[in-house]
Amino acid sequence: MPTAKDLQALGDQEVVELAKAGRETAYRELLRRYERPVFSLIFRMVRDRALAEDLAQETFLKVLNALGSYRPEYKFSSWIFKIANNAAIDQLRRRELDTLSLDGSPDARTADEVEATALQATDRAETPLEELESRETGAAIEQAIGRLRPEYRTCILLRHVEGRTYEEIAEVMDLPLGTVKTYIHRARLELREYLADLKT
Amino acid sequence: MRDKQLDDSDLDLLVLRELSSMPSLAPSRGFRDRVMARVSLPKPAPLVRLQRAGAWALQPRRAAALATAYAACVLATILLAGPWVAAHAGVLAVAGSWVVAHVGAWVNAGLMAVATWGVRSGVVQALREAFGTGLRLWATLATAALLYTGSGYGLHVLLKAPRRSHELGRAL
Repeated sequence: MPTAKDLQALGDQEVVELAKAGRETAYRELLRRYERPVFSLIFRMVRDRALAEDLAQETFLKVLNALGSYRPEYKFSSWIFKIANNAAIDQLRRRELDTLSLDGSPDARTADEVEATALQATDRAETPLEELESRETGAAIEQAIGRLRPEYRTCILLRHVEGRTYEEIAEVMDLPLGTVKTYIHRARLELREYLADLKT
Repeated sequence: MRDKQLDDSDLDLLVLRELSSMPSLAPSRGFRDRVMARVSLPKPAPLVRLQRAGAWALQPRRAAALATAYAACVLATILLAGPWVAAHAGVLAVAGSWVVAHVGAWVNAGLMAVATWGVRSGVVQALREAFGTGLRLWATLATAALLYTGSGYGLHVLLKAPRRSHELGRAL
């Protein structure tokens, strides 16, 4: 019986097969692999930590409880991202969300909630000035992504944040490959426009 | 904020760099346990088949039909085999006594071999010295029985533990 460490060396398909056979460790391995990418995608779509957790949980429950119907000719990652994206898009359609607030969710009422829902920009700088610039650029890019159309947002996040291929994004979004490339091109143009104030 | 002007290509590079270095966000602690508490793990396939077969067979009408069919099979076998056995009683008696004699001889030889080995190797002597009296033998047997029961209970508790942790996760 493979241990949790052995499972880390296996591909998604093999882990799925073990999960289908009822191995709890295989379920946990799938969760370990995808909890961050799925949560990151949903969070950056809906901009609310509590809501993103609910939607991520819903996504995993749908996926893990329906492993029996999973068809191995498709990539597992495409399947899970598709369900996550649909959950986020459905939520956005149900509710007009504000654009990203780096100060936390628009629903946050207490200081703790504000802190818990705030996005943390990457800290890569070495000097205080660089850190400030990096934080500001990171914040600006997060804000700019929040202002994109949901379809563009999904495409740009999957391509440039999660590093997925154009083909996989097309599969996730049920769109032709050309449309995905166009969306990503337009999204990058829009991001450039939003960030144009950095020129000054 | 920036001292230098950024042209379009610089800005594009900046966008790509910032996108590729955006942090991966994690859900709150305990997320995996909360999900696992609500996932229904599939039961092993043989167990599912057995449960289905049991549920199917235990419905009153089906159970009655199965019992009737079983009784009919037994009765038919007796009815068919009876005349044949009666017709070949002599041959069957000879064959039967031959089988019993040979199997008995093998069992006897085996027991003798074990007993001889026990006496020659000193195992019997060692056992006699170890237990000495009947009281010691009964004490050893009682300890073994207690250990066996304790191990069984321990396994039962250990196997129940994961279910309890799921219930805890659900409660959280």
